[in-house]
Amino acid sequence: MQATALFLLISCLFIVHTVIQCKKELTLSERVQQLSDAAVKKPVLRFNGDKFRQYVKGTPRNYSTIVMFTALAPSRQCGICRHAHDEFQLVANSWRYSQGFSNKLFFALVDFDEGPDVFQSLRLNSAPVFMHFPAKGKPKKVDTLDIQRVGFAAENIARWVAERTDIQIRVFRPPNYSGLLALVVLLALVVGLLYLRKNNLDFLYNKTTWALAALAFTFAMTSGQMWNHIRGPPFLQKTQSGNIAYIHGSSQGQFIVETYIVAMLNAAVVLGMILMTEAASKRDDVKKRKIYAIIGLGLVAFFFSLSLSIFRSKAHGYPYSFLLK
Amino acid sequence: MSAPVLNYRTRGWLRMSIEKQDTLLKMAVLSLAAVLSFSCRLFSVLRFESVIHEFDPYFNYRTTKFLAEEGFYSFHNWFDDRAWYPLGRIIGGTIYPGLMVTSAAIYHILNWLNITVDVRNVCVFLAPFFSSLTTLVTYHLAKELKGPGAGLVAAVMIAIVPGYISRSVAGSYDNEGIAIFCMLLTYYMWIKAVKTGTLFWSTMSALAYFYMVSSWGGYVFLINIIPLHVLTLMITGRFSHRVYVAYSTLYVIGTILSMQISFVGFQPVSTSEHMGAFGVFGLCQIHAFVDYVRSHLNKTQFDVLFRAVISTVAFGGVLILVVLTALGKIAPWTGRFYSLLDPSYAKNNIPIIASVSEHQPTAWSSFYFDLQMLTFMFPVGLYFCFSKLTDENIFIILYGVLSIYFAGVMVRLMLVLAPVMCILSGIAVSALLSTYMKQIDDVKADKKKAKFEGNYFMRSEIATLFVCIMSVFLVMYTLHCTWVTSEAYSSPSIVLSARGHDGSRIIFDDFREAYYWLRHNTPEDAKVMSWWDYGYQITAMANRTILVDNNTWNNTHISRVGQAMASTEDKAYEIMRELDVDYVLVIFGGLTGYSSDDINKFLWMVRIGGSTDKGAHIKEHDYYTAAGEFRVDKEGSPTLLNCLMYKMCYYRFGQVYTEGGKPPGYDRVRNVEIGNKDFELDVLEEAYTTEHWIVRIYKVKDLPNRGA
Repeated sequence: MQATALFLLISCLFIVHTVIQCKKELTLSERVQQLSDAAVKKPVLRFNGDKFRQYVKGTPRNYSTIVMFTALAPSRQCGICRHAHDEFQLVANSWRYSQGFSNKLFFALVDFDEGPDVFQSLRLNSAPVFMHFPAKGKPKKVDTLDIQRVGFAAENIARWVAERTDIQIRVFRPPNYSGLLALVVLLALVVGLLYLRKNNLDFLYNKTTWALAALAFTFAMTSGQMWNHIRGPPFLQKTQSGNIAYIHGSSQGQFIVETYIVAMLNAAVVLGMILMTEAASKRDDVKKRKIYAIIGLGLVAFFFSLSLSIFRSKAHGYPYSFLLK
Repeated sequence: MSAPVLNYRTRGWLRMSIEKQDTLLKMAVLSLAAVLSFSCRLFSVLRFESVIHEFDPYFNYRTTKFLAEEGFYSFHNWFDDRAWYPLGRIIGGTIYPGLMVTSAAIYHILNWLNITVDVRNVCVFLAPFFSSLTTLVTYHLAKELKGPGAGLVAAVMIAIVPGYISRSVAGSYDNEGIAIFCMLLTYYMWIKAVKTGTLFWSTMSALAYFYMVSSWGGYVFLINIIPLHVLTLMITGRFSHRVYVAYSTLYVIGTILSMQISFVGFQPVSTSEHMGAFGVFGLCQIHAFVDYVRSHLNKTQFDVLFRAVISTVAFGGVLILVVLTALGKIAPWTGRFYSLLDPSYAKNNIPIIASVSEHQPTAWSSFYFDLQMLTFMFPVGLYFCFSKLTDENIFIILYGVLSIYFAGVMVRLMLVLAPVMCILSGIAVSALLSTYMKQIDDVKADKKKAKFEGNYFMRSEIATLFVCIMSVFLVMYTLHCTWVTSEAYSSPSIVLSARGHDGSRIIFDDFREAYYWLRHNTPEDAKVMSWWDYGYQITAMANRTILVDNNTWNNTHISRVGQAMASTEDKAYEIMRELDVDYVLVIFGGLTGYSSDDINKFLWMVRIGGSTDKGAHIKEHDYYTAAGEFRVDKEGSPTLLNCLMYKMCYYRFGQVYTEGGKPPGYDRVRNVEIGNKDFELDVLEEAYTTEHWIVRIYKVKDLPNRGA
């Protein structure tokens, strides 16, 4: 409340505010009642400066509050805040709809543009910050979530909350409905297509389609797309000298663009092989077959040596190469 | 590959008939491949000695020894009181016994023939021996799919493919070593059964399947891929009596046999992984019945009947699904369902899966590292299979596509992918080579005919060039495989080696030194506490009772050990008294630079120790500095610098010079001077430290005399 006193001196606006606040100084039970009512409707309560002082800092309290200080206005250009907000919302929702939901714990949010005074009084100069305000006493150092180390994934926030308040929240991540929706749309399209062409389903038995699908799948897998999907590496990277690196320097990692290159190399070699086969087996134009064979041979030899040298640049100490260094 | 055979005819080579020459050549190539696959797995034996590798193989070795000495029944009823003190572990019902039974049988046969070999040597050489057998089975499998030429190429390729060698070098005595053989054997029998439709081959495939079930948990892959094959055959209208006989026999006999393994028990009829096989078995019967009815009715009658039955069944099925969901009996729309569709689900929601290195996804360089040219010969093989679809080609396509998916998700499953890579590449290489070899021959043989057949100019030159390039590829493949095997997959990890300043090799044999010290210098019933990684090795080599081991079935017990390691001496002493510990063993790499030591694993001990109720006072952030770093020097957190693990690792280390120009107590793994140098141990006394300080053993002091 010292900080509030400071502001009293600075701005007469705040005097008015404080007077109003003093007027409607509420009892504990009233405050808890109001908070609970609000929390049922909206799991994350949005506080401005006054409300923050009234509910979070007001004494006496018998409840803990987890507050996220953030800057969500688009003009602030805080991309990470948006992300953190989603995760925080997830924790709050999980708490709201959990079995143990009670009025012992509330989740709140203070936006910089709605309560800059709060930021000043807590000496916060960055966002987002997660703080725990315990039922008794002031927040200590460990009551601020160490984002640098722990991160702000919903599970980690929940674990931190459990550590601070002894309230276990099982984070329920709603399944990603966009993926499901895409699947449903795709299925509907496929079924619709089948229905439209129900008299002519031969294309399903067309083995070329299936062969192409199988080959595409193979290239996707052998070029490590699954790794990309699970690990989410950057598309490419700027090196310290300012160049752009397309190939990750070690065999432990890879960039997305790198996997495309590898898939292309593999596909080129396979295309060369297939051209060679076609050239040998077809019984038509002589010239065409010759061109096929030569192109095929070139593709196979060149792209094989290229992929070998890319691998060589990744696996340190690999001694072999072919045609290219 | 088999093309050159024809040439010898004109020279009257050894006066053999063509068939005989053909057989001789095949036998020669095959036996060379088998010998090659055995011998290129011996790098570690030649460099070090005939030892069992790593951790799990030590457990397998110990159980095999027990089986060979005590017989099957006491093995089956074995309650092991040497591990998980004071809980113990039931061994017989919690393992796949195939591996142990196989090596015990080999051991007994050899001894019966008066060839006296040690059980350990049987164990060390079992995996290479079985990979020799795998090359033979691969030959037969690829022969059934394409022809003997493809079979030979595939056999030679699988003999040296690194993806398979990684799990089957001499000394890595683990289930996978024989499981790949069993898997390919089952596939071969299955293809035979589908081709012939005889009860004999179907029963043989059921027996092979039984062997597979008895040896590896990966049998689930088999019992899903075979039904999938049958289902695909049904959808493509290739279902026949042959398939019916083959699958019905395999499913019935195979399921009954697999339930005889006590670890598998009733799973084949109760868990969801096996339901696909069961469903396809039902479909098989329905399909056969429909075919039978169709043959007895005319078309219109049949259509009416068919529609009526189908709509009733579909309606009934939906109704049952809705009712069961409403009653809460089944829940098909929960997270578990999504985890099948989205592989990153496990990473986000189950951290223990994300942390184990064997469960990592596969980067493209790992594919290239383990398979090299097979990564692009495989698609060509797929193309060949698609261009000539048969029942058995459909099987190999399914196997290939599915296993490449699994290998992409989990690097460990590269093992399942490697054989099919070899088979399909074998098909591709042999098809391409036989086409172009013929062209070289043809042009020479009948040059005059060439114009009429529409042969183009320089055809034979292009063919020659192609064959040369192909040979270069195959040579590169061989070099690559040898290099990878020798560099990456041939260290036993129980004996370490490093390069000295002058390039000479230094051997660190500290692990065995310590384990044998325990064996000879401690009481028979001493209890040794260590982190769980070393549990199997201690029981197998030191023959002492341990608290936790690599079979991490009881998390609270492991957590208790973690708490002891992470607490101060006084607290740890209480825990050690409670667990009745006599000796404590830690692995320390600060002197030699061995980086996977207990200090580097320590955060896991803290995390696991703090994960249960009793260890709630152990908080991970207490072990970090204010800046959130894990440091062992002066800046390090005081909690860390005074915990039991730190003291045991760095006891007396403060007086040791490790590197020139550095102060005493310089840790060569963390590259810092340690923070807490002068301390004495109150409740422990140093019992033994190995030559390079890698293993340090401490004796827990008895309670002090009253008044002392």
